[in-house]
Amino acid sequence: MQQREEKQLEASLESLHARVAHLKGSLQSFIVKLETEHDRLTWPSVLDNFALLSGQLNTINKVLKNEKTPSYRSQVIIPLLLSPDRDEELLKLTEQRVPVFSHEIVPDHLRTKPDPEVEEQEKHLSAEAARIGPEVAQKQIQTLNKLCSSLLEKLNNPRDDRDSETSALRQNKPSFNPADTNALVAAVGFGKGLSKCRPPGSVPSGHPGQPMMSTGPTLQQVTIAGTTGHQAGMGGQGTQQQPGQPGKMPSNIKTNIKSASMHPYNR
Amino acid sequence: MEAPPVTVMPVTGGTINMMEYLLQGSVLDQSMESLLHRLRGLCDNMEPESFADHELVYLLKGQQGNPFMLRARRSLLHPTAPWHLRYLGQPEVGDKSRHALVRNCVDVAASHSLPEFLNEMGFRMDHEFVAKGQVFRKGAMKVVVSKLLRVLATGNTENTEPLSLSYLVELSVLAPAGQDNVSEDMRSFAEQLKPLVHLEKIDPKRLM
Repeated sequence: MQQREEKQLEASLESLHARVAHLKGSLQSFIVKLETEHDRLTWPSVLDNFALLSGQLNTINKVLKNEKTPSYRSQVIIPLLLSPDRDEELLKLTEQRVPVFSHEIVPDHLRTKPDPEVEEQEKHLSAEAARIGPEVAQKQIQTLNKLCSSLLEKLNNPRDDRDSETSALRQNKPSFNPADTNALVAAVGFGKGLSKCRPPGSVPSGHPGQPMMSTGPTLQQVTIAGTTGHQAGMGGQGTQQQPGQPGKMPSNIKTNIKSASMHPYNR
Repeated sequence: MEAPPVTVMPVTGGTINMMEYLLQGSVLDQSMESLLHRLRGLCDNMEPESFADHELVYLLKGQQGNPFMLRARRSLLHPTAPWHLRYLGQPEVGDKSRHALVRNCVDVAASHSLPEFLNEMGFRMDHEFVAKGQVFRKGAMKVVVSKLLRVLATGNTENTEPLSLSYLVELSVLAPAGQDNVSEDMRSFAEQLKPLVHLEKIDPKRLM
């Protein structure tokens, strides 16, 4: 009898250990994925990871609920030897996480009571459940089941009913206007609808438009005149950056030429 | 005679001919929010990047033929960033079954003296506009949702008015020539944005 129980205990512990190891492995790979690829992750792959974790938790639950599993509550773990020395064996077993089997780690690792906050919450929940009574509880369970099944139905029966609703919505609120599309594409493509001619009065610095046209021919005249072509060019450039009416430009160039011709270092 | 150092020779060749694959559509202002949510879900997980750019389009009118067009773009949000100069060729008239508009694309960065330089070269500014919006990215694909604003006074980017009540949505990929799976990927992505916005290849010449 005793031996059978012992064997059962051992077998169940082994399977539990294996499941927990699987869970640990998938948690580790998920964490690594989150840390290294977080900007490339897609929601479906994250959902896959969560589904894997929940499946593994489910199998652990099944193992625990299995009738062949002895009740772990009746087992007690007593530490026989505590020492503050480093234990190499323990290091190997725990993947370098627990170096010493001492008084500090025993309360954490061998605890059987849940955390105080968790305990509080459990007390709350059981008090609530006791308070509302069995009939109300049943009713709540039934409403939850109904909601879940209707949601599942809506999700699983596609197209027909959904399409009719959404097509009605679509007709009411079109989200784009093809005429606008054409107008925008034409504007970006070749400036349709954007004012092309520049009024001569408005000339801010840095974007000379029409004034350039007037300085063009005057520049030509300057170079043909033959005076220090180099300096005249420089003078011409200087005037382009000055804001002003086109009428002023030629006169500016002329004064520059005059000063250039009086320059002692004529070429 | 030894070969001259690389920096002395003019840069010819050695650059891959990049093509821009483009699909365009638009979305009304009121549906913009839902489009942004959908794009945030579909595209790579990053904070959506807002931009406000001032684009000037320069034309060089030769003696005959079509004028040569260059686009100079500067960021209004980062005034010290370099200007971006882009050349876009004519759309390739390939097989009609190709789902995206394909055109040659050359991009260079330029300093802040770009407008003066272009004027000296003989280009004249044809038109300008301000584009404000957000950029999303999915792998090599780039989705730009932008509001085009008309500049009322030349060079004055403070005084603008919207061009229309819609946002322009562009899906583009920069890839070397001849990769047709690019347009397939773009088409499947565009399918996911329906019915909010219809991304299609729009030939600008048709709208002239």
